[in-house]
Amino acid sequence: MTGPAFSAGVRGVMDSVVELIIAGTVGSGFVWGPDVVVTSAHVVQQGPVMVRLPNGQERSARVRLADRDRDIALLDVPSLGLPAVRSGDPTALRIGQTLFAVGHPLGVRYAMSSGILHAVGPLPDGYPLPPHARRLTWVQADLRLAPGNSGGPIADARGRVVGVSTMIAAGLALAVPITAVDALLRSRAA
Amino acid sequence: MPASLSSFSDQLADAVTRAAGAVVSVHARPRLPSSGVHWRDGVVVTTDGTVRRDQDLSVTLPDGRRSPAQLAGRDPGTDLAVLRIATGELPVATPGDPAGLRPGHLVLAIGRTGDGGPRAAFGAISATGGKWRCWKGGEIDLWIQSDLTIYPGLGGGPLISPDAGVLGINSGGLSRPLATTIPVATVERVLDQILAKGYVARGWLGAAMQPVRISDTTRARAAMTRDGGLVILSVEPDAPAALAGLMVGDVIVAIDGHPVQQSDQVLALLAGDTVGRTLVVELIRGGKPERVEVLVGERPRTRR
Repeated sequence: MTGPAFSAGVRGVMDSVVELIIAGTVGSGFVWGPDVVVTSAHVVQQGPVMVRLPNGQERSARVRLADRDRDIALLDVPSLGLPAVRSGDPTALRIGQTLFAVGHPLGVRYAMSSGILHAVGPLPDGYPLPPHARRLTWVQADLRLAPGNSGGPIADARGRVVGVSTMIAAGLALAVPITAVDALLRSRAA
Repeated sequence: MPASLSSFSDQLADAVTRAAGAVVSVHARPRLPSSGVHWRDGVVVTTDGTVRRDQDLSVTLPDGRRSPAQLAGRDPGTDLAVLRIATGELPVATPGDPAGLRPGHLVLAIGRTGDGGPRAAFGAISATGGKWRCWKGGEIDLWIQSDLTIYPGLGGGPLISPDAGVLGINSGGLSRPLATTIPVATVERVLDQILAKGYVARGWLGAAMQPVRISDTTRARAAMTRDGGLVILSVEPDAPAALAGLMVGDVIVAIDGHPVQQSDQVLALLAGDTVGRTLVVELIRGGKPERVEVLVGERPRTRR
């Protein structure tokens, strides 16, 4: 292999990604800390959550915190035994820099897709999106997502996670800035 | 090799930053604004399809200020529109070299939507080629197709190379299925005409024609090798064709030395800088070859 490749960053992130199985559908999640997984709130609201680890083992999970408006959730997963992701600073991103996503699009396990940062901020009028979601700050990425990516990480070239894959609008990948995880933890700790 | 990916990533981000200094948001339609390129001082180029009104236009500059704009002219044939803004506000775009593009070259599309920072999409050149006529009727100097996504609002913005050179203007309207870029040469040509006259003049003969086969006997009698041409069905009074003496029933076989068998070949010959030029028309009249000189006129504006 010659030339630049995403592989080193992807390997680091892959090790922290899990599959979430809820009522027969597949979502994505990633390890935030010891026995703690981050995902999207919309992924885990349908019923009991089963977590499948990269080695195929399954664990049942409990939703510890969820913010429906920001569409983010934290799960407690006993004896997870996986490394946590490294997180980056979404406010320091530059438009045009390379990004990649890891998840299970349409059930394809541990798939990566690559692209660049499109913009950071709210979406302009004219995008097919509910009004409340349009006004939120998004990490907007020009990379391909599909159902099943939801809850998975979007990371920079060095493998630092900057967002949580959440939805697709006019083909654009929308991720919740990773800083929302700390904000969720702080809000419930107070 | 994370180091090289990181430096490539930095290069892309640098290119966006540099090129975005000359990219504005164009407010010329309801809801979602489009993008435009500050091509010359005080002159912004965007796509015709995104300029839905002729008045009450404005642009958002890279520093977020809103500035009024006036429509200098538009050329629906090449999907380009030209706006005038205040001079001395912005750097002008740095042109790149679209003629050197080959499939596989990496490119970025940049836009600006509203008051925010730039937006970008990334991909590769899918196909390239020479001159072509787009379905809107204009002649485009290069065929530039890429696999990147022209997201809503990116139309009218530039396609750039990773060294930030502007390769052309991305047209959402011409892009199906691949992204289509109007190259620098076409923008320059259309821009010169719009700034000089407010529109793009297209050559005009004023004759309706239809493809026709030339029979073997006619071909033998006229001592010709061509087996097809265009028969004139009608000639408009006082039009260039009428003034040159072209008549209904004449079969045109070549114009300016180029064989013609389809009417779009005539349109292609007239699309360039032909207004005011005298072209030699070769034809068959009454079974005999003739040569007629025609002074090309300007297509009346109601016919654009």
